[in-house]
Amino acid sequence: MSNTDGQHKPEIDRAQLVYAAVLDVVSHTGMVLIAAGFLSYVLRLLPLTVSVEAVASHWHLRASEMNHVLSVPSGWSWVQDPLHGDVLSFISIIFLSMAAMICLVAVIPVFFAGKNRSYALIALLQVLVLVAAVVGIAS
Amino acid sequence: MTRVDGKKIWWFLAAVLLTAMPLVLAPEAAAASLPAGGETSWWIWVLLLFIFSFFLGIVSVLAGVGGGVLFVPIVSSFFPFHLDFVRGAGLLVALSGALSAGPSLLRKGLADLKLSLPLSLIGSISSVAGAIVGLRMSADSVQLLLGIAIIAIAVIMMKAGKSGYPEVGESDVIARALGISGSYYEPTIDKTINWKVHRTPLGLVLFFFIGFIGGMFGMGAGWANVPVLNLLMGAPLKIAVATSGLVLSMNGAAAAWIYIYKGAVLPLIAVPAVGGVMLGSKIGARILSKVNTGSVRIIVIIMMVIAGLRSITKGLGL
Repeated sequence: MSNTDGQHKPEIDRAQLVYAAVLDVVSHTGMVLIAAGFLSYVLRLLPLTVSVEAVASHWHLRASEMNHVLSVPSGWSWVQDPLHGDVLSFISIIFLSMAAMICLVAVIPVFFAGKNRSYALIALLQVLVLVAAVVGIAS
Repeated sequence: MTRVDGKKIWWFLAAVLLTAMPLVLAPEAAAASLPAGGETSWWIWVLLLFIFSFFLGIVSVLAGVGGGVLFVPIVSSFFPFHLDFVRGAGLLVALSGALSAGPSLLRKGLADLKLSLPLSLIGSISSVAGAIVGLRMSADSVQLLLGIAIIAIAVIMMKAGKSGYPEVGESDVIARALGISGSYYEPTIDKTINWKVHRTPLGLVLFFFIGFIGGMFGMGAGWANVPVLNLLMGAPLKIAVATSGLVLSMNGAAAAWIYIYKGAVLPLIAVPAVGGVMLGSKIGARILSKVNTGSVRIIVIIMMVIAGLRSITKGLGL
């Protein structure tokens, strides 16, 4: 570690600033979606695929056991019929879980443009790991 | 002491007491006093979870630990939700906290993208593996191992020191090849701190194991990320704390998808937990300078030991 006196602005990598800008938008959007989705769920502003009471009656079971009894949203099962309160709340969680991947996709071209191929490759591999999880290959 | 300070101290005391409340109540008493769920009672549990998560958010900021490490053992021991759903929510608690703090820390140069990417790549692969293994094991086995892990983490937190600005002689080959170094402005000493890291290969190995444990138990891993980044790899403490969050946001996301596919993420549990912890963290950050964080850390370690013991007894069916 070395120190330099005085208050000068440290130089931040351009890819890092792009990541921060995208993350700012994505995380704020995610928070709004989380709140809106949950309110539409518990206030029953939209019809539900599974009632709140039914979920609460089974939340002591293992996830696999609950799935045998109820069709709660999981993975991408909601895509065909998304306009339900519980599904919208679930989608908001999906969005939050994809935040890091969205940010990484945005910085890969920045790494390439800066001829930083090592980090472009690492970021690409990281995206592939997340995509494998998102599409269910890892599951 | 000013009137405002007094209010902040009361916030602190309320946070500690309410977060610790489930630990002093016998689980049987809690279960008997409230219905397990169903037609009229679901909102009571959801509201209690939100309130608990809110105060947990305050305490976790003051103690310098992520919310996930306390959330999973306490909620799984004292709320009627199955451990599967608690772990799914715990991962979301950990990653959402890291996401909301991320932009500001990245812009200040405290969270470092280049330091985080190689570590999160290794960690996200192992966290997926940990999540798969955790969901295949019996709930009692996971509960037992969780209790042992929480007590081990409490011991690590007691024993591990911290170093504001570790001395790093020569960077290792990987760190040099990837250009892992940076600088940030430290207002407390009015200096720009230039930093670099060493022992990256060993750091990568440790991050593999940390990711596995985090995915398996649905916990954040700041308790392990920070000592490895700070004490082993030589990153300044502020860089270690901020970059740990960035790593966590990627590892947590990868593992969370395993839980999402298994139907182990219920919005009814995950959203109040995420919302409560995030709101509480904002309050915690405001009162941070007014309380003795060393004392809070000791209280949190004691809470972890108690929660760990409860988890072990539950796992053993006692």
